[in-house]
Amino acid sequence: MSLLTVENLDVFYNDLQATFGVTLHVDEGETIAVIGANGAGKSTLLRAIIGLTPTGRGSIRFAGEDITHQRCNIVARRGIALVPEGRRLFHSLTVEENLLMGMARARPGPWTLPAVYDLFPAMRDLRHAPASDISGGQQQMVAIARALLTNPRLLLCDELSLGLAPKVINEIYACFADIRGSGISIVLVEQDTMRARNSSNRIYCLLKGRVTLERPAADVTLEEIKHAYFGDHGS
Amino acid sequence: MSIVEAILNGLMVGGLYGLFGLGLALAFGIMRVVNIAHGEFIVLAAYLGVSLLTLTPLPLPLVVICVAMAAFALGWLLQATILNRVLGPNPIPGMVITMGLSIMLRNALVKIYGSNIRSIEVGALQDRGLSFFGMSIGVLPLLIFSAAIVLFVATNFLLTRTTIGRAFRAAADDFEILETLGFDRRKIYSAAMGLAVTLSALAGLLLAMRSSFSPFSGAERLLIAFEVVIIGGLGSLRGCFLGGLFLGVVQVVALRLNPNAGPLFGHLAFFVVLLVKQMNFSFRPAWRRA
Repeated sequence: MSLLTVENLDVFYNDLQATFGVTLHVDEGETIAVIGANGAGKSTLLRAIIGLTPTGRGSIRFAGEDITHQRCNIVARRGIALVPEGRRLFHSLTVEENLLMGMARARPGPWTLPAVYDLFPAMRDLRHAPASDISGGQQQMVAIARALLTNPRLLLCDELSLGLAPKVINEIYACFADIRGSGISIVLVEQDTMRARNSSNRIYCLLKGRVTLERPAADVTLEEIKHAYFGDHGS
Repeated sequence: MSIVEAILNGLMVGGLYGLFGLGLALAFGIMRVVNIAHGEFIVLAAYLGVSLLTLTPLPLPLVVICVAMAAFALGWLLQATILNRVLGPNPIPGMVITMGLSIMLRNALVKIYGSNIRSIEVGALQDRGLSFFGMSIGVLPLLIFSAAIVLFVATNFLLTRTTIGRAFRAAADDFEILETLGFDRRKIYSAAMGLAVTLSALAGLLLAMRSSFSPFSGAERLLIAFEVVIIGGLGSLRGCFLGGLFLGVVQVVALRLNPNAGPLFGHLAFFVVLLVKQMNFSFRPAWRRA
């Protein structure tokens, strides 16, 4: 049975429709990647799943329960966590205080303060630094750790590699083996198509708010991705 | 010597001024609510204190606790039932609501207590003073100043060492992300408003012990609170405290030099600070560690 099922999702920003009948699912323990150009509706999809943006039409089911119109904090307590685009740390809190916020309403589970410090050892030395004073890569690690500390069943990651150097991106993606190992399912939103394909089980491509491709990552060809990414005009 | 004495006395008043600013700064820093009824909450607490002391046999410390609890409940209810409905980027609805509340409170106080001047009697403590180096400092102002420091330190402890306090600061930074971590923003805000009104109420009780007040005293306290918060920089506990001290010292020293000046020089000093800062204070402050 799927952990997350999204069916015919329409999301609106005021009068603007951002997604059109998006249908996707994530199985227990699976990692899916959602790729697509800027403005394709990827971030909107994640925001709708966790309840930050209200759903217009369609349904979202998580772990057998309907969460379509649930408030964000309720959805979070059910076991969905978000690593938001642009990291969005609490910048007037220290690194460790950011992590404590993740723990405060956490579900029981394997992710504890020592566990995330083991995952990102560099964070331990920075734990008393203001979150605004650390580098972008370090901020991304704190954002991931903060989300993990809620002990989610599903982790939504929005544009982890945005604005980071390739070496730093590799370090961050290296942690996903451990995260998957703890049984967490993952939705990766990525602009970097190759990286998305290499780190996921299945790929969805969004184009102007519609799903244009759904394929096992191992089977997908560059030609298919190109077609789905740019539409007919791109090929 | 008399100038040094005036400065010391100014610091004593300044501690209380800082406390006036604190409740306003918390409400604005955490939920962007400009609480126009802030001054009326201060006066309301003072009247509540007077009533409890005259109508019941409760001793002063118990009265303080009762007023503080009532103030927390009032702040919580105000946020939970009304202000949480007008959350959003536009600060005007909150200002209009609290302005209406201030008018209602002021008139209710006139209706109930009349417009005579009142104060809280603290007995012999009122006149006791300490003398050293030829200067004299009242014991009561010193105690009130100490109480203000204790409240600032306690608030700082709450904001930096407790989960709810960190949640207050986190909500000021990014309430959406706080919700994704399982916090209900509305409950955090209600607790924060409870705290803000409690601090205002305690400031009101201290004010009532120091000087007299009437139902119309609120506007002047609100003005002081605004000045303190803007001088000290929005969103900093230490700034709030120092802003209060600055304003207090300027006012008392100016009164010593020109006894007819009233609060004029305090407001002038505020004006000068505004000119110096050229209005470039951050309007989206971070709730920094003090």
